[in-house]
Amino acid sequence: MLRFRDYSIPKKLTWMNLLVSGTALLLASAGFFGYDLYNFRASTVRNLGIQAQIIGSNSVSALLFDDPHSAENTLSALRAAPHVMFAEIYAQDGRAFARYRRDGNGSFPPPLPIPTGEAQIYRFQGGQVALVRSITFQGKPVARIYIQSDLQAMNDLEKNFGITVVTVFLMSLLATIWMSSVARRSIAEPIVRLAGTARIVLSEKNYSVRAFPAGERNEIAILISTFNEMLAQIQEKDAALGQAHDRLEQQVHQRTAQLNAANADLEAFSYSVSHDLRAPLRHISAFSQLLNEEYGSNMEAGAQQYLNRIQGGVKNMGRLIDDLLKMAQIGRKELACVATDLNDMVKEVLADLQPECEDRKIDWHIGELSSIECDPGLVRQVFANLLSNAVKYTRKREIAVIEVGQIEDDGVSVIFVRDNGAGFDQRYIGKLFGVFQRLHRAEDFEGTGVGLSTVQRIVKKHGGVVWAKGEVDKGATFYLTFTARVSSLAAGTKAAV
Amino acid sequence: MSSPRRTNVWRWVPRGRGCRRRHLLFWLTAVAMGWVLIGVGHPVALGQNSKPTEYEVKATYLYKFGRFVEWPAKAESEFFSICVLGQDPFGPALNAIIANETIAGKSVVAKRIPAPQDAVNCRVLFIGSSENTQLKQILTTLRDTSVLTVSDLPEFTQHGGMVQFISEGGRVRFEVNLATAERAGLTLSSELLKVAINVRRNAR
Repeated sequence: MLRFRDYSIPKKLTWMNLLVSGTALLLASAGFFGYDLYNFRASTVRNLGIQAQIIGSNSVSALLFDDPHSAENTLSALRAAPHVMFAEIYAQDGRAFARYRRDGNGSFPPPLPIPTGEAQIYRFQGGQVALVRSITFQGKPVARIYIQSDLQAMNDLEKNFGITVVTVFLMSLLATIWMSSVARRSIAEPIVRLAGTARIVLSEKNYSVRAFPAGERNEIAILISTFNEMLAQIQEKDAALGQAHDRLEQQVHQRTAQLNAANADLEAFSYSVSHDLRAPLRHISAFSQLLNEEYGSNMEAGAQQYLNRIQGGVKNMGRLIDDLLKMAQIGRKELACVATDLNDMVKEVLADLQPECEDRKIDWHIGELSSIECDPGLVRQVFANLLSNAVKYTRKREIAVIEVGQIEDDGVSVIFVRDNGAGFDQRYIGKLFGVFQRLHRAEDFEGTGVGLSTVQRIVKKHGGVVWAKGEVDKGATFYLTFTARVSSLAAGTKAAV
Repeated sequence: MSSPRRTNVWRWVPRGRGCRRRHLLFWLTAVAMGWVLIGVGHPVALGQNSKPTEYEVKATYLYKFGRFVEWPAKAESEFFSICVLGQDPFGPALNAIIANETIAGKSVVAKRIPAPQDAVNCRVLFIGSSENTQLKQILTTLRDTSVLTVSDLPEFTQHGGMVQFISEGGRVRFEVNLATAERAGLTLSSELLKVAINVRRNAR
């Protein structure tokens, strides 16, 4: 069952009107009824008293001259009062002197106790009223008259009153319903329409609809106009937001296209530069070699040294170009992902590093790694770069400690490579993964500054992240994650673009 | 009590000591009970166990008539006199009934009168059955007075009397000659006429 507070406003209004008018009507009816009843009883007693007085006065001579017949004649006048059932005159000594009975025969009710000191007493009982009045003649009591009346008139009154109340109640019910419909028009309907509009706005997200104005300058009208204003403002902001969104989208498309173009240009450029740089470098290398072979014996020691320097520089540049080419290839290459056991991969890399570890004391701690979905050629390069770096930068340690392992961080597998080597200054972390960026002098640790950059590119291409923590002379730790295949696929698509 | 010689209350009494004592006792008791129980004092109301005699009722009626009859203003007198002419059938009952009573502010007294001429100042005159033979002469004497004549003589009203007692079914009833009463200047209340057996309205 619906509770009253959940009723709709029109229903509530109707019910409230019904309740208020019904209560008022019932109270008023009860009041009138009580008043009428009281009045009726009082007038019944008064009339009976008057009748008793008249009968009594007219029976005085009959009483004095002992003529019951005459008294009965007088009593028979009560036939004109149809509600009087019995009447009886008692002589002063209490004996019945004359009687009247409406129905002619039947028994008389037992006489009422005769009042002492009072001119009249009455009693309501069993739907009847009985009254005893003292008859006096020239100031002296001569007899008492008892008169009993039914209350049929009162029942009639009650019935008529009931019919009137029901009629008025029904009429006021109709009037209330009619007035409720008027109230509904002026109060409830605007609110119901407003609620309907609000529902449309909410369900269709359509801010262009408007609530129908109620017209007058009342609270509902203010509510509706405020609602409409709010809708207008929301519509305006919605439109502005939509425009801004469109503009932004367009900009993103533009920038993405520009970026892709720039990336493609850059890759094409670095590839062609590396490729084109190789040819003159090969000439320099080949001819400086020839110079050394054919004229090396005739050269002075100083010239010989210059030549060696040139050859060293050329070799260095060749390595740089190789690395650059490799990096450019990473960008161009599509990932070929297969399930790969990283433990095996690390073992292979370590085997490859064996020559560099000659004459070194290295304490290896290789932990258990997981198996991942990745491009094994590229990931192998990642481990190769990181481990060779570790070996390289621990060169000055008497005992190098290099650790490879895997930790679980927030549900993500993180692989780390830790060493106790030269480390780096955390302040320059931004330069660590930059191309050709080096945090150590070439005299201390040789290198091209491409290795870590390559590592970052490969990891990113797999959708992963690489970061590092380090401290000067205390060592460095590199962390990497290779997250979901989705990311790597996305990276692959991007590479294809 | 203008003539105590004839108005002899002892007249019914001197029959012997016991009898006299019994009567005295009866009347004392009757009056006392009447006053105590009813407060009005009519012997009629003494109760069923001591039903009043015919003449006690008639004596009461003589007195009660006074309450339903209006006398002309010229008939002024100090007392309201109820007179008995001829043989007195009431005995002490009449005096007992009217004792201390007043009608229209006048004390009620009872008189026994020897001759109709003495009835001039009477309001009510009871003509005893002993006067049967002289009835015509008595009524003629009283023609121009305002005396309510009462008797239990048969055909009293036909002969010019005003109120005639008639016994009917053990009750004392009366008939009225309204014409005669009106000629004498008396106004009889309709209440009185209502309880009369017969009301003669036209002159004889």
